[in-house]
Amino acid sequence: MHEELFNKIVDMDEEGSIKLAKEYLDGGGDAQKLLNVCRDAMGVIGDKFEKGEYFLSELLLGGEIFSSIMEFTLPLLKEGDIAKLGKIVLGTVKDDIHNIGKDIFKAFVEAAGFEVVDIGVDVPEEKFVEAVKEHKPDIVGMSCLITAGISSMKNTVEALKEAGLKDFKIIIGGGRVDEEVKELAGADAWADDAARGVRLCKELLGVEG
Amino acid sequence: MDMTTKNPQELAKERRARLQAAINLEEPDRVPFCGVGGDIIPAYAGITQKEFNFDYDKAEKALEKFLKDFPCDWPFAAGVTGLDGRILSVAFAEYPDLALSSTFVSGPMHKTLGDKYYRFPGMETDENASPQFLGGTFMEPDEYDDLIEDPVGFVLETILPRACTNLDTPRQAMTTMVRLGMDFSQFYASAAKVGMASAQLGYPSLAIGGAYAPLDIIGDFLRGISNTVLDLRRYPDKVKKATEALTEVIIKYALAFKAIGAELAFIPLHLNEYLSPKLYKEFYWPTLKEVILTLLDEGIKSLVFFEGHHEPHLETILELPKGWGIAYFEKTDVVKAKEILKDHSCVMGGLPITLLVGGTPASIDEYIKNLFEKVKPGGGFILAPSVGTAPRETPLENLTALIEAVEKYG
Repeated sequence: MHEELFNKIVDMDEEGSIKLAKEYLDGGGDAQKLLNVCRDAMGVIGDKFEKGEYFLSELLLGGEIFSSIMEFTLPLLKEGDIAKLGKIVLGTVKDDIHNIGKDIFKAFVEAAGFEVVDIGVDVPEEKFVEAVKEHKPDIVGMSCLITAGISSMKNTVEALKEAGLKDFKIIIGGGRVDEEVKELAGADAWADDAARGVRLCKELLGVEG
Repeated sequence: MDMTTKNPQELAKERRARLQAAINLEEPDRVPFCGVGGDIIPAYAGITQKEFNFDYDKAEKALEKFLKDFPCDWPFAAGVTGLDGRILSVAFAEYPDLALSSTFVSGPMHKTLGDKYYRFPGMETDENASPQFLGGTFMEPDEYDDLIEDPVGFVLETILPRACTNLDTPRQAMTTMVRLGMDFSQFYASAAKVGMASAQLGYPSLAIGGAYAPLDIIGDFLRGISNTVLDLRRYPDKVKKATEALTEVIIKYALAFKAIGAELAFIPLHLNEYLSPKLYKEFYWPTLKEVILTLLDEGIKSLVFFEGHHEPHLETILELPKGWGIAYFEKTDVVKAKEILKDHSCVMGGLPITLLVGGTPASIDEYIKNLFEKVKPGGGFILAPSVGTAPRETPLENLTALIEAVEKYG
């Protein structure tokens, strides 16, 4: 089953992969193993994206397949059974209401094994500060699509510093970010696609793979 | 951009010739420069984004002040503010006079419609936030047949009432449409005033119409971006037929702009960056190409904004006839694009907006110098920001440095 399911997901066979996953569980299959196969497949989809073989269309569909399978797989797993690479507080910054980029990244970074606390869109600096105090993440992820988001990111990084919060890395992401914005905002890393974002989150925490 | 020695007419003539040369794939006297717009304009005038979007008097003054102090050859991004309203253009496609009034949805129009597509400052967001397009899902997959059967009727009678809270009942709808007509008048009266002020400042008048990629109508206004991308796999035949049905409607409304003597049709693309070359060539490009070619036959060149990374699809542009229009790139490397599209397409872009925000006068000078060394020879190039929206905090000295660098190295 494992190889067949893995291939179906990577090949974007939505119907076929969901059917196969259901059959596997119905036949008494191991939910933990199923989760691992799906995660591996998502990792390969991300790699293919970074190599230019896959595009956003495949990231979106891959994310969709993954969440469809997880819907009936996760309830079979116990909270403690799911190993986490780290925790991310994620939101779209103040004055920007866009969610697609954030949501694609969320799907892939969760699939990679991170726990994500999604605090929404148009998130003011103080809400980022509160979320970091409450959830003590390893990474803070800020997303923006519009150019106004650039200074919101900078202000949010400053607000986190002023609140004396540290011991986490900051990654910024979205269509309008680059090295220039990373420097300006004072972030640790930037990504303008989800696959790169996931890879950098692992690098920031020194996680293998 | 010496304004002291030339009168406005001479200056406008010079700028137009510069742009025209680039569009005609010739080498102008200097590289033409398309300036920035966006949040910086109200910020520079000391007004809020809410005022800029809802108070035409204040907006006109702010635009005039900005256009005077930060000159360029073509203030494409600095006009009366509104967001793409192409769903209305589809709805009114059968009435050319209305179709050409509905290219943009302004703050007042958004307020009148109570639509769920847009977010305007002081309404749903902070009074200093940029006006934003959000889109959404307003059509179910089993409705593709209705869209294919009668795109105008389906959009007007089914989609708009779903997407606009003030079109809920016939009674509300009648009032809303009357008010919308008044909003159209005010918007275009204001645009005319800005046009006159621009002419006084020596800006060329360049009539621009609009068109859209058929699949983007579905992605932006009907099914939402994510659903549309998934639909390409789930219901490929239906989506393709729907884009074909929309093509005719889009061409119809785009041709309405012949009445105002439109020379260019602005076509901002959205889904291009999402699609693999296979999906792009099957579902996106054929109908977009048909729109561009039909307009070209009617004497209207296209100004296509290739959002995001368009590298995977660059070669398809070569399927268009030489001199078809302007290829405006956001994140695609314009040096590489120009190599591929040399003597075929006018290439526009090249200035990352993030450099303008995060750079220094020295780094901007250096950047323009290097860029122009590569793209200036042979002409056919217009310098423009990757995105026209300069944020409030854009350092003014950077804008000035940019203008000086264009003069120096252009």
